[in-house]
Amino acid sequence: MKGSSGENITQTDFLRNVIGDGMNQEVDDNTPDEKLIELFLNENDQNAFEEIFNRYVDKVYGIALGTSRDPNSTEDIIQDVFLTLMKKIDTFEGRAKFSTWLYRVTVNASYMHLRAEKKYESDYSLENYVPYDENGTLIGRIKDKEWSSRPDILNFSKEAMEILDTAINELPETYRIVCQLRDVNELSYEEISEILGISSGAVKSRLHRARLYLRDKISDYFYEWRQNK
Amino acid sequence: MFICKDVVEKIMGYIDAELGGKTLVELENHLYNCPECDAFVRTYRKMLVLAGKLRANGFVTILFRNRLKTFLLSRLNAK
Repeated sequence: MKGSSGENITQTDFLRNVIGDGMNQEVDDNTPDEKLIELFLNENDQNAFEEIFNRYVDKVYGIALGTSRDPNSTEDIIQDVFLTLMKKIDTFEGRAKFSTWLYRVTVNASYMHLRAEKKYESDYSLENYVPYDENGTLIGRIKDKEWSSRPDILNFSKEAMEILDTAINELPETYRIVCQLRDVNELSYEEISEILGISSGAVKSRLHRARLYLRDKISDYFYEWRQNK
Repeated sequence: MFICKDVVEKIMGYIDAELGGKTLVELENHLYNCPECDAFVRTYRKMLVLAGKLRANGFVTILFRNRLKTFLLSRLNAK
């Protein structure tokens, strides 16, 4: 275990640092993550911990909710994430961004929860999913089902957003998580690659198929919705 | 010459503004001449806008935020 100057310290020394009463450090919105971690790890600076919490709690919540799809469990998951942060921040080696490390912890905690609840469903592959025929021509009456200029959808009506949410829910797990992290949480391909431990190419490939499937699903749902109105 | 399949397989690069030169020109020419692909790209773009709006659902309530922060700080102090 390393101290603030990189020296080797014992677990006891580490805990002594953590349980110290340091709360006097000045931190604000502009303090870099790395500085906050250093202050928290080495001086038990509670202001630093609070700043980390305030900075990331919404993002962690969004990722946990998107991964678990279970609002009732999401609060438990993010509590576990921040407890893990408190206990294991010393394992953060700085090779990736802190946010990436934290989001990986979040995704893992969410998956653990899904498995514990036996809600982790086996995947099916979308790798061969394409919206065109053997001649390479688009299929599915896309123009007839066109919805991109409909005001009831573009005003983000409750029904429209529920339809989108339902369609995302129906994606196979390995595709849904990529779609969630990129299109909802707007993380970069590189961050998603590091969080999920897959290549950027695999991220893009899964995202591509997920979006094709999702666009078709949404178009079908919106088309049915319009027919029934 | 571009066909619909080419638009589908290159759409991520198109949306991310990574295409250039001849590929971009051919893709946009195809979109101009193919109403199905034009609708495909427009709905694809709007889908991404809608998905981004879902992020608004992922914010913690003030009540939970304060409760969790209080709990975590108490754990920190209890060590």
